[in-house]
Amino acid sequence: MIEFSAGRYLIKDCPKPRLRPRGAAVIGGTLLLAQLALADPYTVVAVSNGGTIQGVVKLAGTAPTIAPIEVTKNQDYCGESIPNPVYVVGKDGGLQNVEVYLKDITKGKAVSTDPVSISLVNTHCMFRPRVQAATVGQQITISSEDPVLHNTHPQNSETNATIYNIALPYKGFSVTKPLPATPQLIKVKCDAHEWMHAWIFEFDHPYFATTGDDGKFTIKDVPPGTYTLVAWQEAAGEKTMTVTVAAGKTVTADFQLAPK
Amino acid sequence: MATRIATVLPALVTLLLAAGHARAEDVGDATRGKVVYEQYCVLCHGEKGDGKGRYSGDTIPVPRDFRQGTFKWRTTPSGSLPTDADLEKVLITGLYGTSMSSLRTTLNHQQRLDVVTYIKTFSPRFATEKPQPPISIPPEPPYTAKSVARGAAVYEKFNCAQCHGDGAEGDGPSADDLKDDWDNPIVPYDLTEGHIKCGDSGPDIYRVFIGGLNGTPMPSFADSISPDEAWDLVHFIQSLSPVYPKNVTGGSPPPTTKAGDETRKRTPSPGWVYLPIAATSNAMHHAMSAVDSPNK
Repeated sequence: MIEFSAGRYLIKDCPKPRLRPRGAAVIGGTLLLAQLALADPYTVVAVSNGGTIQGVVKLAGTAPTIAPIEVTKNQDYCGESIPNPVYVVGKDGGLQNVEVYLKDITKGKAVSTDPVSISLVNTHCMFRPRVQAATVGQQITISSEDPVLHNTHPQNSETNATIYNIALPYKGFSVTKPLPATPQLIKVKCDAHEWMHAWIFEFDHPYFATTGDDGKFTIKDVPPGTYTLVAWQEAAGEKTMTVTVAAGKTVTADFQLAPK
Repeated sequence: MATRIATVLPALVTLLLAAGHARAEDVGDATRGKVVYEQYCVLCHGEKGDGKGRYSGDTIPVPRDFRQGTFKWRTTPSGSLPTDADLEKVLITGLYGTSMSSLRTTLNHQQRLDVVTYIKTFSPRFATEKPQPPISIPPEPPYTAKSVARGAAVYEKFNCAQCHGDGAEGDGPSADDLKDDWDNPIVPYDLTEGHIKCGDSGPDIYRVFIGGLNGTPMPSFADSISPDEAWDLVHFIQSLSPVYPKNVTGGSPPPTTKAGDETRKRTPSPGWVYLPIAATSNAMHHAMSAVDSPNK
């Protein structure tokens, strides 16, 4: 029961960041076609003396106690319970699995599609990694290390529309699939194990970072200018900050996210 | 020679005209479709196509929300939009076990195309995406006891029991916690009772393994199951109920319903054993039309 309510909490309160309007229009269906043409696509320009944004994301106060996930199926393999990874805080208070990115950036360095595929592993009845980012044009390799049936079911976070739903019926199964053609926040679930969740931010620009266990991030080669920097965390939600980047300089942007 | 040309030419002209005529007919008109929609569809599917029509609270499962472009019955791969013919097929056959009844005799081919065209306007995906190429279904091997036995092993190998249960009655360990794309609770199909929503024929069941059922937890096994395994699994599923038609001699599969097929004859080809299928009724749509038609 505890695990079930935790799962509901995640889905219900999963903040929905506003990504680029083009993607939102295509998927969200709330904008008119005429507005599609107005959305600025990302333009690649030479960035010779860009600036750097770096910082650390911490949780304001101590992490709330969240009960472990109570495993309700396949306990013989998955175990009786799994530590709840909603807030992963490192020893210096750094918060892991936060996506930090520039919002509405319209020009900058080339978008990298290296590696060709990002990876999402089903392991010990959880997804690894929980939060990651990709760019339009990259693929995703979905695999399973578990001897139970999983399914990897990515959905558009705005509309819940299924992107595809892939069965991973046995240990060692692996498949590579394209990511959607438009930038969006993808939430991933395993229907067979309802506590399994992951998030994939898909961007059409290269200015993003996912925090590791130290909570730190670095975004490089930013053309000089003033931007909106976003820090997103699955439960704490989204916080934005205005940052001004000067040529060749490093600007510090630390975030404190309030737990919810 | 001249006589021959004189004979062949009019025939050719007729053929070309017929082809041109068919093409013209295959184009739906959203404005006309809106009229059909408001007469036959709106009470369940709602004015905005959000599945929240006046009667939607009384139906289980709830009516389809058209805004995501997510449909279960498709000839296309997992996640893909359906084709127009796929959507028309549902209008023709209805969906077994749901409130979606057949409009085969209520609407003609052109009206169905029109309403399909209108339904597609509810999701912006149809303006920017194309349906992916259809799933390829190889010829069905004969339904035999050996194939059924192999299929039982496939059922186990692919862990179908995780949701559908050891006895395929829809009571596996994950059965109680499943949700659809709209966060509505959803149960795995009990494959031992009644008919299968998306069709009982071999190709119908095969298609579900490969394409999955968009909007539901049923995933696609396209990347993990071989055609031989899939056919054996089809036969195992069909062995679970006497009502499923069996391709006992491996002849051609039965005529699947083609879009525009007004008659939809379920004429068994030799070797296919059919049992009576409960026809879905037009009664509900007629009743609604009589009560709420804007034209009356």
